[in-house]
This record gives sequence, structure tokens and C-alpha cells, in this order.
Amino acid sequence: MLLEGTFVFWCLIAWPAFRRGGDAPAFEARMNRTVSWLAWASLLVAVVSGAGWLVIVGSNMSGTPLAAVLHGPVLGIVLTQTRFGTDWEIRAAFIAVVALCLLVQRGGRRRAAASIGFARAAAFVAALAWAGHGAATEQVPFDALHLPADILHLLATGAWLGALLPLVLLLFAARRDGAPDAVGVARVATLRFSVLGLACVGTLIVTGIVNTWFLSGSVPALLGTLYGQLLLVKIALFAGMIAVASVNQRRLLPALAQAGYDDVVRLPTIRKVGRNAAIEASLGVFVLAIVGVIGVLTPGSHTEPRWPLPFRFDLGEMAPALRIGLLITIAAAILCLAVLALNAERKRYRQMTAALVVFLVLAVTGWYLLRPAIVAAYPTSFYASTQAYAAPSVTRGAPLYAQNCAVCHGADGRGDGPLSRKLPIRPADLTEPHLFAHKAGELYWWVSNGRDNGVMPGFADKLSSDQRWDLINFLLARAAGAMTKEIGPQIGTKAVPPLPDFAFEQSGAQNTLSQTLKSGPTLVILFGTPVPRARLEELARAKLRFAAVDLHVIAVALDRSKVEAPFIVAVSDDARTTLALFRSRADGGDTELLLDRGGNIRARWTAVGRVADAATLLADAVSVAKIPVAAANHAGHGQ
Amino acid sequence: MNTARLIAAAIFALAGFFGAPPAARAHAFLDHAAPAVGSTVPNPPPVIHLWFTQELEPAFSWVTVSDKSGASVSDGPAAIDPSNKMEMTVKLKPLPAGTYTVKWHALSVDTHTTEGDFTFQVKKG
Repeated sequence: MLLEGTFVFWCLIAWPAFRRGGDAPAFEARMNRTVSWLAWASLLVAVVSGAGWLVIVGSNMSGTPLAAVLHGPVLGIVLTQTRFGTDWEIRAAFIAVVALCLLVQRGGRRRAAASIGFARAAAFVAALAWAGHGAATEQVPFDALHLPADILHLLATGAWLGALLPLVLLLFAARRDGAPDAVGVARVATLRFSVLGLACVGTLIVTGIVNTWFLSGSVPALLGTLYGQLLLVKIALFAGMIAVASVNQRRLLPALAQAGYDDVVRLPTIRKVGRNAAIEASLGVFVLAIVGVIGVLTPGSHTEPRWPLPFRFDLGEMAPALRIGLLITIAAAILCLAVLALNAERKRYRQMTAALVVFLVLAVTGWYLLRPAIVAAYPTSFYASTQAYAAPSVTRGAPLYAQNCAVCHGADGRGDGPLSRKLPIRPADLTEPHLFAHKAGELYWWVSNGRDNGVMPGFADKLSSDQRWDLINFLLARAAGAMTKEIGPQIGTKAVPPLPDFAFEQSGAQNTLSQTLKSGPTLVILFGTPVPRARLEELARAKLRFAAVDLHVIAVALDRSKVEAPFIVAVSDDARTTLALFRSRADGGDTELLLDRGGNIRARWTAVGRVADAATLLADAVSVAKIPVAAANHAGHGQ
Repeated sequence: MNTARLIAAAIFALAGFFGAPPAARAHAFLDHAAPAVGSTVPNPPPVIHLWFTQELEPAFSWVTVSDKSGASVSDGPAAIDPSNKMEMTVKLKPLPAGTYTVKWHALSVDTHTTEGDFTFQVKKG
């Protein structure tokens, strides 16, 4: 990075400065020597750190200790068989070319060689991004942005921080020299650097936002994980650098530009610029140190974020009209801030005050609008379940509920257990749709730590973390089952929360519901005895038409009967007990559930009512397929 | 520059406020497996498939499958499909009924290691 900066400095700042700033051959020669020395030193650093990096990453990748990496075959395997190894070799080649350029430059043909060196060094820095996270994102929207953003971010960092150090050296050297020509050179160099700095800072801000978006992913991840917090510290340090730079930019540079050849103004100004640049550079070193630490940490989306605030915003709680109002208020407030800043800069204090008042009014309005969206939050609010929402977990959760919760919440979860009458607060009805208004992480907090000043006890000591998640999966499945019974044959905008995932075997192949849903909506038929054979055969006749709209049909016998009929899949007991939550005996024969691609139940038919004919199902499948599926949740990485 | 910073801050605040953007996964996690995680299967599977969320490095990724006593029941080392590096498979010896533990260790192409395990049951009948 320093290498890139040095070349940038040479090509874009130093030479033009020497050309325009004045005739100072001795000073130029000395500066060239210093910068050339710096280039070699940074090349050395690049070589040493590159070798160290290879050994450390090799050790991490293979899981062998550092010493063993040096002796064993690991490095060979890393270099020849992994993508990281290939990238490393490309970078090593870049470094070699850069070294060659430096040698040629010494031989006299400076400019051409430096230009090649400049390009090579830039390519080297860009190549850094390949092996990093940028090259490895999964298919997500705007994924194509990530890698260019990474490369630009690194290039801009290199150009800014890398050129900063030579600039500091130049400024100090010019001050020591004191000759008018040397000071003139320093002046032009500073002015030119400021243009470069502005471009780089702009790039860094934009690409930094893109990268934060990709790697951290959300506000909870940013606030609640070590990764996110370090990122915030880094952003704060960066803001500090910008603040120092803006002092240079706003105060010192205009003075310098006006000073012309007046040394009384020029010298002290250059001293101040140099001092600020030195502060900037040292802040930059801290930023790089943090980047190093962040680099070995897991990115924000993989550790459970501990939410630091006692509340969170849930826009879903707001009326749509209020939401639009809030949007307008925020947009107006931002506009207002811009006007404020503009007036502050032009020192128009009356307008500034007016803008401030309007802003405060908007802020109060915004807060008032936002109030209904403020809901209580807990440290675990944004935790994702360790146990996938699937039949095995739900089945494990059922007996845990019976042993620990039924005494108050009731065997069916309606809040009417034997102990409920003796309690000061009625236990919650756990079958109400309201259960889904809470995040799973909040249920987890209550199950772990209790509620209402100990009226509900916490179970953190009694149940393991995995058991608590099993219990929550059971609660969610049961509540979803209760809600299903309210849903009818019409496809509405309202959906019942998803059916738990389950595994099944169909014509000898292993499959799961979640895999089936990936390719299209699915009709799940739950039946007991007698087997609805005529119905299944009726559907089988429409099989080809179903396939044309990617509608799948899965029929599950809930009572372990073994029958041969179309669409019937073999499932294990856990799937049977879980799916039984979604069918009541009053349904008569079979219950048919139409799931959208997110697994949400969109329509329900029972034999007592009337099941849908193939044509209706086809039309429904087409309309369900159009419903956008919310981004797959990350619940249960172990799935 | 002030204006630029302001706009950037505004974008950032808005982005954070209106819903979490898609979180990228920079590590290889198990997406799904066949037989499925925690499932009970009626017939012994001849092979286990594991699908990950990212491409793997074959040189440093592996899977072991063991029975209750801890003895390995896999038939040869795990293989990664060169055309789809997100899928790892391992062949199995003929399995009697019982519970089996699958331990996986994945090195994604971005040099990060992840590990995990799950069980599945073979229940004849």
C-alpha cells in the first residue's frame, strides 16, 4: 500500500511540483533519494509481510501450528492447490515487477519505469482484494458491486495513506531547507495532494459504505458484534482523519494558495500542514492496525449480535401512512441539515439558526411519529436460533414444554395451566398470533431469564441453550398450527408463519421440504385413515400441468400407515408429530396446505369443506409463486 | 467535502434504518445435507451429500461419519465436485440401523475455516 502511495506521490505530486514550484535541483535530488529509499523500504516490508502472511494463513487454513507449517508439506499444498495460493503467487510476481521498475529507475529512465511501477503497484493492491472477503460472497443482490468496491477501497487507501508519508517527509525537508524554491515546491505539492486526498476520501466513504453493507449486514451486527464495533472505531478514526484533513483543506490551503511567494505566511502554514499531515498519518496507522485485527475476525454476519440498547425500532408496528410521514420527515430533516451546513460554511448565522429551528421541529415530529415503532429489546433480541426450525427440533421441544411450561401456560398453551389462577398475572396465551410479533431472540431472552419480575422464572440453569431453542421452535410451530386453522381456501395477503422443515423420502431419494420449496410452491396433504386415494389419483392426473407451473405435491400419512398412492412420501415420527400440529380431527379426511416459496401457509382446504380441483390449484400456484419471498432467514446455520 | 460527508451519512443512516440489507456470508456454512440434518431415514444411504454456502478448498476440507462407538463408517475420503465446489460428498459402507454422527470441516476459498456436526438415524421398517 505504501508502495502504491509512493508511486502515486512521485507521478502525481512530486514531479509536477518540482516542475511548477520552482527551480530547486538540489532539493529535488535529495527528495528523490528519500522517496526512493522509502520505496525500497516499503518493498522490503511488502516482501517480509507477504511471507509472514503466507505462513500465518497457511497455518490457519491447515490447522497446523506455525512451526509445523515451515517444515511440513503444507506450504506446497497451499501454493499449488488453493485459490489463496494462486493469488499469493500473482502478488509475488507483482512485487518482483515493482522491484525491477525501481532498479530501472535508478539506471536513469525514471519516468517510464515509475509509470509502469505505478500501474503494477496499483494492480498489486487491487489483487489483495481478490483473496479477501470480496472474492467470496455468496449470491446476493448487488453482489457485483462488492469486488469493485473492495478494490477501489484498497486503491484509495493506498493512494491516500501511502502518499501521506512522503508528503510529510517533503514538508519537513522543505522546512529544514528553507530556500524559497524548496518552499515553493512544498506549496505546490500540498495543493496537489489535497486534490488527490479529496478524491480518495470520497472513494473511501462510498466504498466503505458498500463494504459495511456487505460484510456487516445489519445494524444489530454493527452494534452488537466485536467485528462491528471495531468497524465503528475504524470509522471514528477515519472521521478524525477527515477532520484534520478538512482543517488543512478549509483553513490552511486557501492561506497557502493566496500566500504566493510570501515566506512569512508560507513557512508557518507549511509547518502546520506538515504537522496535521503527520497526525493524519498516525491516525491512519491505527486504522490499518484495526483493519489487521478485523481481518482475522469472523465478519459480522456470523456471530450472534448482542443488542446493546433497551429498545429497537419495529417499523412493522407502524401504520403505513405514518411510515410514509416518517420517510418524508427524515428526508426533510436531511435536507435541512444540508442547508444548515451550507449556511454555517458561508457564515450566514441568521439563516443557519432558522435551519436549526426547522431541523429541531422536524426531529421532534419524527420522534413523535416513530414512537409506536419503539419496542422493548433485549441483548439477545437479534440472536438467531442455533436449532433449525424443523421437525426434529420441534419434536424435542414438545416434552420440554410439557415438563417446564404446561403447569402455568397450560397443556395447549392457552395460558390456563393448573397454577395460572394463583399467579398475579395471567400467563401468556402462547397460541395467539401475537407470539410472532416478538423476535425469536426475545422469546429466547424470556425463556432464559424470566419475565415480569420473576412471576415467570428463567430456565437458563435448567435447560441448555439448544434446548431453549428447541422449546421456542415448538412454541412457534404450535402457534402457527393454531393460526392455520383460521385460514381458508382463498389466497389472501395474510399468510400463516411457515410450516417447519422436515425430511422425507420419495421414490428412494432423500429430500426436504425446504429444498422442494426452493423450486416452487408446494401443496402439502396431511391425511389419516382412510387414505384419500381418489383425491390423490385425481391430482396425479394433473401432474404434468402442476410440473409446468412448478407446483409440488407432498402427501404425508400422519398415522404411520403404509400405503401406495401417488405423491405419498415416507417420513419419520418427528415429522409426523410436528405436522399433526397443523391438522385438527374436525378437518375430516385430508387437510391440504398450499405453501409459498417461503414455506408460509397461504391457503387451506379440508375434506369437510371442499378441496380444490386441479384448475383452481393451478391458478393458485401461479398467484402464490408471484408473492415475493422474504430473504431467507439465517435461523439455524446447522441446517 | 462537507456536503459529501453529509450525503454519505444520510445514506448510511437510511440504509441502517430501513431494514437490514442482505447479509453476505463470507464463510462456508452447511446449507443443507442429504440425509437431512437430524433426520431419520428408512433406508441406509450409500452416500452423504453436504451442500455449503460457499466454495470449498478440497485440500483442507473433510467429512467424517462415525457410528455410536466412534468407528468410521465412511468408504474413502470426502470428495468435492470440481464443477460445483460448494458440494461435498462422502461414500458410506452399508449402514446397519443406528445413529450416525457427521462431522464436517470446511475451508472456504476465502481462507476461513468452519466446523460443525450433525446426526442422522437409520431406522429400518
